[in-house]
Amino acid sequence: MPSERELQISPVVQESLVHNTRTLYNLQSLTASLFGVSAGILGLESYAGFLFYLVFSLLAATLVYALRVAPTSLAAGKPLLDTSRYFRGAYDVWAGGLMNGFAGFVLTWTLFYGLVRA
Amino acid sequence: MTLLSKTITTFGSLFLAHACYSAREHAALQSLRAATSASLTSSPTAASSLPIDIVIETIVSTFIILLGLVLGTRPLRPLEWRVWAGKIEREGEQGFTDNSGVVDKDYMGNPFAVLESRPNFVDIRKQRRQFAKWVQEGSGKQGQ
Repeated sequence: MPSERELQISPVVQESLVHNTRTLYNLQSLTASLFGVSAGILGLESYAGFLFYLVFSLLAATLVYALRVAPTSLAAGKPLLDTSRYFRGAYDVWAGGLMNGFAGFVLTWTLFYGLVRA
Repeated sequence: MTLLSKTITTFGSLFLAHACYSAREHAALQSLRAATSASLTSSPTAASSLPIDIVIETIVSTFIILLGLVLGTRPLRPLEWRVWAGKIEREGEQGFTDNSGVVDKDYMGNPFAVLESRPNFVDIRKQRRQFAKWVQEGSGKQGQ
Protein backbone atom coordinates (compact mmCIF):
# COMPACT_ATOMS: atom_id res chain seq x y z
CA MET A 1 0.00 0.00 0.00
CA PRO A 2 1.57 3.31 -1.04
CA SER A 3 2.27 5.94 1.60
CA GLU A 4 0.85 9.47 1.67
CA ARG A 5 4.09 10.84 0.29
CA GLU A 6 4.12 8.45 -2.64
CA LEU A 7 0.50 9.30 -3.39
CA GLN A 8 1.43 12.97 -3.50
CA ILE A 9 4.26 12.29 -5.91
CA SER A 10 2.31 9.96 -8.20
CA PRO A 11 -1.41 10.59 -7.73
CA VAL A 12 -4.09 8.01 -8.43
CA VAL A 13 -7.09 8.47 -10.70
CA GLN A 14 -10.18 7.69 -8.61
CA GLU A 15 -12.39 6.96 -11.64
CA SER A 16 -9.96 4.34 -12.87
CA LEU A 17 -9.81 2.77 -9.42
CA VAL A 18 -13.60 2.55 -9.20
CA HIS A 19 -13.87 1.23 -12.75
CA ASN A 20 -11.25 -1.49 -12.25
CA THR A 21 -12.59 -2.57 -8.87
CA ARG A 22 -16.14 -2.79 -10.16
CA THR A 23 -15.08 -4.76 -13.24
CA LEU A 24 -13.19 -7.23 -11.08
CA TYR A 25 -16.02 -7.49 -8.55
CA ASN A 26 -18.59 -8.23 -11.26
CA LEU A 27 -16.40 -10.95 -12.72
CA GLN A 28 -15.72 -12.50 -9.32
CA SER A 29 -19.40 -12.67 -8.32
CA LEU A 30 -20.34 -14.13 -11.67
CA THR A 31 -17.62 -16.77 -11.74
CA ALA A 32 -18.23 -17.75 -8.10
CA SER A 33 -21.81 -18.69 -9.00
CA LEU A 34 -20.47 -20.63 -11.97
CA PHE A 35 -18.05 -22.55 -9.74
CA GLY A 36 -20.96 -23.34 -7.42
CA VAL A 37 -22.86 -24.84 -10.34
CA SER A 38 -20.00 -27.14 -11.30
CA ALA A 39 -19.26 -28.09 -7.69
CA GLY A 40 -22.90 -29.07 -7.31
CA ILE A 41 -22.86 -31.10 -10.52
CA LEU A 42 -19.69 -32.88 -9.40
CA GLY A 43 -21.41 -33.65 -6.10
CA LEU A 44 -18.57 -32.37 -3.95
CA GLU A 45 -19.05 -32.35 -0.22
CA SER A 46 -17.48 -30.36 2.62
CA TYR A 47 -13.76 -29.72 2.21
CA ALA A 48 -13.61 -30.94 -1.40
CA GLY A 49 -16.07 -28.23 -2.44
CA PHE A 50 -14.18 -25.46 -0.70
CA LEU A 51 -10.93 -26.71 -2.17
CA PHE A 52 -12.55 -26.68 -5.61
CA TYR A 53 -13.62 -23.09 -5.04
CA LEU A 54 -10.14 -22.12 -3.89
CA VAL A 55 -8.46 -23.68 -6.90
CA PHE A 56 -10.86 -22.19 -9.43
CA SER A 57 -10.73 -18.74 -7.83
CA LEU A 58 -6.98 -18.79 -8.17
CA LEU A 59 -7.39 -19.96 -11.76
CA ALA A 60 -9.77 -17.07 -12.46
CA ALA A 61 -7.33 -14.60 -10.92
CA THR A 62 -4.54 -16.05 -13.05
CA LEU A 63 -6.65 -15.71 -16.18
CA VAL A 64 -7.50 -12.10 -15.33
CA TYR A 65 -3.83 -11.41 -14.84
CA ALA A 66 -2.78 -13.19 -18.01
CA LEU A 67 -5.44 -11.76 -20.32
CA ARG A 68 -6.20 -8.33 -18.90
CA VAL A 69 -3.28 -7.14 -16.78
CA ALA A 70 -0.14 -8.76 -18.15
CA PRO A 71 -0.07 -7.54 -21.78
CA THR A 72 0.16 -3.85 -20.87
CA SER A 73 1.71 -4.25 -17.44
CA LEU A 74 4.70 -6.22 -18.67
CA ALA A 75 5.15 -3.86 -21.61
CA ALA A 76 5.33 -0.98 -19.13
CA GLY A 77 8.24 -2.65 -17.37
CA LYS A 78 6.45 -4.00 -14.29
CA PRO A 79 7.73 -7.27 -12.88
CA LEU A 80 5.87 -10.52 -13.45
CA LEU A 81 2.69 -11.06 -11.37
CA ASP A 82 2.64 -7.41 -10.40
CA THR A 83 -0.83 -5.85 -10.65
CA SER A 84 0.00 -2.36 -9.39
CA ARG A 85 -0.73 -0.81 -12.78
CA TYR A 86 -4.45 -1.48 -12.39
CA PHE A 87 -5.13 -2.31 -8.73
CA ARG A 88 -4.14 -0.81 -5.40
CA GLY A 89 -3.18 -4.04 -3.69
CA ALA A 90 -2.24 -7.48 -4.91
CA TYR A 91 -4.81 -8.88 -2.48
CA ASP A 92 -7.75 -7.56 -4.55
CA VAL A 93 -6.84 -9.60 -7.59
CA TRP A 94 -5.48 -12.80 -6.14
CA ALA A 95 -7.66 -13.37 -3.07
CA GLY A 96 -10.55 -10.92 -3.47
CA GLY A 97 -12.62 -13.52 -5.29
CA LEU A 98 -12.60 -15.79 -2.25
CA MET A 99 -14.44 -13.17 -0.19
CA ASN A 100 -16.62 -11.50 -2.82
CA GLY A 101 -18.18 -14.57 -4.33
CA PHE A 102 -18.35 -16.90 -1.37
CA ALA A 103 -22.08 -16.47 -0.67
CA GLY A 104 -22.96 -16.93 -4.32
CA PHE A 105 -20.79 -20.02 -4.49
CA VAL A 106 -22.45 -21.71 -1.52
CA LEU A 107 -25.90 -20.77 -2.82
CA THR A 108 -25.49 -22.33 -6.27
CA TRP A 109 -23.45 -25.22 -4.88
CA THR A 110 -26.24 -26.36 -2.57
CA LEU A 111 -28.89 -25.61 -5.20
CA PHE A 112 -27.30 -27.74 -7.90
CA TYR A 113 -26.30 -30.46 -5.46
CA GLY A 114 -29.95 -30.72 -4.52
CA LEU A 115 -31.14 -30.53 -8.13
CA VAL A 116 -28.86 -33.25 -9.40
CA ARG A 117 -29.16 -35.66 -6.49
CA ALA A 118 -32.68 -35.16 -5.24
CA MET B 1 -13.90 -9.34 -29.26
CA THR B 2 -17.27 -9.33 -27.62
CA LEU B 3 -18.53 -11.80 -30.20
CA LEU B 4 -15.61 -14.10 -29.42
CA SER B 5 -16.26 -14.01 -25.67
CA LYS B 6 -19.99 -14.55 -26.11
CA THR B 7 -19.42 -17.49 -28.44
CA ILE B 8 -17.00 -19.12 -26.00
CA THR B 9 -19.37 -18.56 -23.07
CA THR B 10 -22.32 -20.00 -25.00
CA PHE B 11 -20.37 -23.10 -25.99
CA GLY B 12 -19.21 -23.61 -22.41
CA SER B 13 -22.76 -23.21 -21.11
CA LEU B 14 -24.00 -25.85 -23.55
CA PHE B 15 -21.36 -28.30 -22.34
CA LEU B 16 -22.12 -27.48 -18.71
CA ALA B 17 -25.85 -28.00 -19.26
CA HIS B 18 -25.12 -31.34 -20.88
CA ALA B 19 -22.88 -32.34 -17.99
CA CYS B 20 -25.60 -31.34 -15.53
CA TYR B 21 -28.18 -33.41 -17.39
CA SER B 22 -25.81 -36.38 -17.53
CA ALA B 23 -25.12 -36.18 -13.81
CA ARG B 24 -28.87 -35.99 -13.12
CA GLU B 25 -29.53 -39.05 -15.27
CA HIS B 26 -26.68 -40.92 -13.65
CA ALA B 27 -28.02 -40.16 -10.19
CA ALA B 28 -31.52 -41.27 -11.22
CA LEU B 29 -30.14 -44.48 -12.70
CA GLN B 30 -28.13 -45.20 -9.58
CA SER B 31 -31.10 -44.78 -7.29
CA LEU B 32 -33.22 -46.98 -9.56
CA ARG B 33 -30.55 -49.67 -9.65
CA ALA B 34 -30.13 -49.50 -5.90
CA ALA B 35 -33.87 -49.89 -5.41
CA THR B 36 -34.17 -52.91 -7.74
CA SER B 37 -31.05 -54.66 -6.44
CA ALA B 38 -32.17 -54.11 -2.87
CA SER B 39 -35.51 -55.71 -3.60
CA LEU B 40 -33.91 -58.63 -5.51
CA THR B 41 -30.78 -59.57 -3.66
CA SER B 42 -30.73 -57.22 -0.67
CA SER B 43 -26.96 -56.89 -1.05
CA PRO B 44 -25.62 -53.42 -0.31
CA THR B 45 -24.36 -51.84 -3.55
CA ALA B 46 -21.42 -49.57 -3.30
CA ALA B 47 -22.38 -45.96 -3.93
CA SER B 48 -20.57 -45.40 -7.18
CA SER B 49 -19.27 -41.91 -7.83
CA LEU B 50 -19.77 -39.86 -10.95
CA PRO B 51 -18.30 -41.33 -14.19
CA ILE B 52 -15.00 -39.80 -15.19
CA ASP B 53 -16.31 -38.39 -18.48
CA ILE B 54 -18.97 -36.29 -16.74
CA VAL B 55 -16.34 -35.02 -14.29
CA ILE B 56 -14.03 -34.05 -17.14
CA GLU B 57 -16.84 -32.43 -19.11
CA THR B 58 -17.90 -30.35 -16.09
CA ILE B 59 -14.40 -29.12 -15.34
CA VAL B 60 -13.55 -28.37 -18.95
CA SER B 61 -16.82 -26.54 -19.57
CA THR B 62 -16.32 -24.50 -16.38
CA PHE B 63 -12.91 -23.51 -17.65
CA ILE B 64 -14.32 -22.58 -21.06
CA ILE B 65 -17.05 -20.38 -19.52
CA LEU B 66 -14.47 -18.80 -17.25
CA LEU B 67 -12.30 -18.01 -20.25
CA GLY B 68 -15.26 -16.46 -22.06
CA LEU B 69 -16.24 -14.37 -19.05
CA VAL B 70 -12.70 -13.08 -18.53
CA LEU B 71 -12.45 -12.19 -22.22
CA GLY B 72 -15.76 -10.37 -21.90
CA THR B 73 -14.68 -8.06 -19.06
CA ARG B 74 -14.22 -4.41 -19.83
CA PRO B 75 -10.62 -3.31 -20.39
CA LEU B 76 -8.96 -1.97 -17.24
CA ARG B 77 -7.70 1.57 -16.90
CA PRO B 78 -4.30 2.61 -15.57
CA LEU B 79 -4.36 3.78 -11.96
CA GLU B 80 -1.51 6.25 -11.81
CA TRP B 81 -2.35 9.70 -13.04
CA ARG B 82 0.70 10.07 -15.26
CA VAL B 83 0.18 6.69 -16.94
CA TRP B 84 -3.51 7.43 -17.44
CA ALA B 85 -2.95 10.93 -18.84
CA GLY B 86 -0.23 9.58 -21.12
CA LYS B 87 -2.62 6.95 -22.43
CA ILE B 88 -5.21 9.65 -23.18
CA GLU B 89 -2.57 11.76 -24.91
CA ARG B 90 -1.31 8.88 -27.01
CA GLU B 91 -4.47 6.98 -27.87
CA GLY B 92 -7.29 9.46 -27.32
CA GLU B 93 -10.73 8.00 -26.99
CA GLN B 94 -9.64 4.87 -28.84
CA GLY B 95 -7.92 3.73 -25.66
CA PHE B 96 -11.12 3.99 -23.60
CA THR B 97 -13.57 1.78 -25.43
CA ASP B 98 -15.38 -1.30 -24.22
CA ASN B 99 -15.09 -4.60 -26.01
CA SER B 100 -17.49 -3.68 -28.82
CA GLY B 101 -15.57 -0.50 -29.63
CA VAL B 102 -18.03 1.98 -28.10
CA VAL B 103 -16.34 4.82 -26.21
CA ASP B 104 -17.02 4.75 -22.47
CA LYS B 105 -19.68 7.16 -21.24
CA ASP B 106 -17.43 8.59 -18.55
CA TYR B 107 -14.54 9.30 -20.89
CA MET B 108 -13.69 12.92 -20.20
CA GLY B 109 -10.74 13.43 -22.51
CA ASN B 110 -7.63 15.43 -21.79
CA PRO B 111 -7.53 16.36 -18.07
CA PHE B 112 -5.66 19.57 -18.97
CA ALA B 113 -8.08 20.69 -21.69
CA VAL B 114 -9.09 23.69 -19.54
CA LEU B 115 -5.53 24.91 -19.52
CA GLU B 116 -4.91 24.35 -23.20
CA SER B 117 -7.90 26.30 -24.46
CA ARG B 118 -7.55 29.44 -22.32
CA PRO B 119 -8.91 32.29 -24.41
CA ASN B 120 -6.55 34.75 -22.67
CA PHE B 121 -3.68 33.21 -24.54
CA VAL B 122 -5.15 33.45 -28.02
CA ASP B 123 -3.07 35.74 -30.28
CA ILE B 124 -5.96 37.65 -31.76
CA ARG B 125 -3.86 39.95 -33.95
CA LYS B 126 -2.12 37.00 -35.57
CA GLN B 127 -5.46 35.39 -36.23
CA ARG B 128 -6.74 38.63 -37.76
CA ARG B 129 -3.71 38.78 -40.09
CA GLN B 130 -4.26 35.18 -41.10
CA PHE B 131 -7.91 35.85 -41.77
CA ALA B 132 -7.15 38.94 -43.87
CA LYS B 133 -4.61 36.97 -45.88
CA TRP B 134 -7.10 34.19 -46.43
CA VAL B 135 -9.75 36.70 -47.59
CA GLN B 136 -7.27 38.32 -49.98
CA GLU B 137 -6.26 34.99 -51.43
CA GLY B 138 -9.89 34.06 -51.94
CA SER B 139 -10.76 37.33 -53.66
CA GLY B 140 -7.59 37.08 -55.75
CA LYS B 141 -8.59 33.65 -56.97
CA GLN B 142 -12.08 34.85 -57.77
CA GLY B 143 -10.73 37.81 -59.72
CA GLN B 144 -8.64 35.54 -61.99
